[in-house]
Amino acid sequence: MDASFLLTQFISGLTMATLLFLVASGLTLIFGVGNVFNFAHGSFYMLGAYFGYQFVSVWSTNFWIALLLSGVCVGLFGMLAEFAFLRRIYGRANEGGFQILLTYAFILIIDDLVKLTWGAEYKSLPRPAGFGGAIQLGDIFIPTYNLLIIAIGMIVVVAAWWVLSHTRPGQVARAAAVDREIVSVLGVNVPMTMTLVFGIATALGGMAGALAAPLRTVTPGAGIEVIIDSLIVVVLGGMGNFWGAWFGALLIGEVNAFAVAVVPQWATLFSFLVMVVVLIFKPEGLFAARKVRKV
Amino acid sequence: MKKNLCVCLAIVLGVLCALPMAVQAQEKVIRIGAMYPMTGRAGLYGIDSVAAAEMAVDEINGKGGANGYKIDITFTDSKAKPAYAVRVATRYITEDQVHFLFGIVSSGVGLAVTEISKQQKKIFIGTDHASTQLTSDKLQPYYFRVANNTFQSMAAGALYLQELQKSKPWKTIAYIGPDYAYGHDQWNELRFSLDRLGVKYQVVGEYWPKLFEPDYNSYVTSLVKDNPDILVTGFWGGDTVAFIKQAQVYGLFKKSLYFQPDAGGNYELMSAMGAELPAGLVLGARHYNNWPDTELNRKFVADFHKRTGRYPTYAAEGAYAGVYAIAEAVKIVGNPDDTEALVKALEGLKIKLPEDPDGFTSYIDPATHQIMQVQAIGVTMPNTDFPPAKMMLGDWKIYKAEDIAPPPGYPNK
Repeated sequence: MDASFLLTQFISGLTMATLLFLVASGLTLIFGVGNVFNFAHGSFYMLGAYFGYQFVSVWSTNFWIALLLSGVCVGLFGMLAEFAFLRRIYGRANEGGFQILLTYAFILIIDDLVKLTWGAEYKSLPRPAGFGGAIQLGDIFIPTYNLLIIAIGMIVVVAAWWVLSHTRPGQVARAAAVDREIVSVLGVNVPMTMTLVFGIATALGGMAGALAAPLRTVTPGAGIEVIIDSLIVVVLGGMGNFWGAWFGALLIGEVNAFAVAVVPQWATLFSFLVMVVVLIFKPEGLFAARKVRKV
Repeated sequence: MKKNLCVCLAIVLGVLCALPMAVQAQEKVIRIGAMYPMTGRAGLYGIDSVAAAEMAVDEINGKGGANGYKIDITFTDSKAKPAYAVRVATRYITEDQVHFLFGIVSSGVGLAVTEISKQQKKIFIGTDHASTQLTSDKLQPYYFRVANNTFQSMAAGALYLQELQKSKPWKTIAYIGPDYAYGHDQWNELRFSLDRLGVKYQVVGEYWPKLFEPDYNSYVTSLVKDNPDILVTGFWGGDTVAFIKQAQVYGLFKKSLYFQPDAGGNYELMSAMGAELPAGLVLGARHYNNWPDTELNRKFVADFHKRTGRYPTYAAEGAYAGVYAIAEAVKIVGNPDDTEALVKALEGLKIKLPEDPDGFTSYIDPATHQIMQVQAIGVTMPNTDFPPAKMMLGDWKIYKAEDIAPPPGYPNK
């Protein structure tokens, strides 16, 4: 196995990792701030892919504008879902069970809405102009669109970290994650904050969907397929931790890329093996802060 | 009170009048209980199958039915889950008293339903699932399949590759397919057929991504390193689309011949990818919208398009064939109730279908209950006759039904 192949495989893994992270980032944000496990996050990803298809392939919108619009549309849809439904179950006993039931229902509803609107046929959208090819370095091909995805992933992780740790809305969101009641007493409109956070998180999912669409198939059911891998990533990194999600995605992406190259028969096993090992030795996730036990 | 009495009387009278009609109607009806997935990735096959089966029912009933019997077909979402489909099938038999079980896209579901069919002695017409097991080691007397199985596709594929070796000598081969029965069966059957033909080859890679894997980059870069002359894939549906899109930019199809004889040529790939679909891919399917160029096929495709506003995937023709096979069997037997006679009628039944080229008629092999059909394999090339597709297959190679059947006793011998 030569160096150029190792590099190629590394970049393949990085592409997979970044797309995983972009989906998982919204999932971990909602969990970290809202304490909501949004089982339907993958469906918002799928919805983003369909919006991307609608804007680019049907209405011939510029790809970059379409990417932003897809995020905005999915975010608005997410806010509506939070405002109309999720908000009503906050603070209930056994909230977790209700969350899973409700967000699972979202999966079924969004799947059917998509089928009613766009039909069951597979859709596809082309890579944007200028990103259809690959850079060739000796034996290595690196698709330019993959490089772009990796770059966007880096920007999102840094931007999200900066917003959450250095801006007032970010601080409010983090404070609300720790104790909603105290933050509310301090005069912050907590329900509004939650709706906004949900909107941003689903917008991230939607953008990931539109960004992944040129590489994947736009189809009903696509949401359920990304949610499991995203969940693995979020659990690995520590539920609610942004950097953790990024690292978790990187770990899964690279483990998968090299497993495919070395032991293709068993490749799919390894990401689960990594999760098992982490859950045994550090069940709170690799990056999670040690929980302070309330007395 | 008086008014209520009148209403009651009217209802009783209505029921009394309707009863003999209902009984009479029941006497002259063929009841089919169909099961197809309606959601998720396979939902498209289900929706297309329903449309085509309804089309066949309308055509047959419009001409007075089969031997005076009208067809009454009921559809239920199989949810692509074996346990659920078994419950639906049982309900069809015990409550709806259907004469035939029908449909099923997933082989896993098909294998579960064939058990019910066997236990209840109720004929099951398989229209899309392709696992060879159903017509070989898992065959039971009441099961019939009216679409290709994977063995037939892969045997045709092996003949194609054998022929190719003469014009363009190739040595190495690699495979990638979903990590479940469908993916593994195809690879085993292709190698079985190549070995049987005495074709010499060297396997340089085998990859098993999970079904519905969204990300193939790592597989593609590893395949580029393997550099096979022939790259065989065993995907279906959206996985084919995703794999081709991701592999294309690595230049994989310039180095290796892309070869997917079972489900690659399904129209959904052409309709989804439009102009993005590369030329020169070698693909096969169970039915094509542009082959054979016969009146029957042209009419089938045009009628389907008129009905739904889109062109069919191959699942549609299987469902269409299934309804016609039932009608033909009932015509021979004279009624839909004599199951044993219907089994005899279906064994060896000849039926002219849209996918039959001139001079050939599909028939059901009495020994395996598998429909025997001509198999074609084509190459992608520009063709805008079936929008939104911009590429269709052409440059066909045709294989005779007798040449691609599994040998007797397969897979045990």
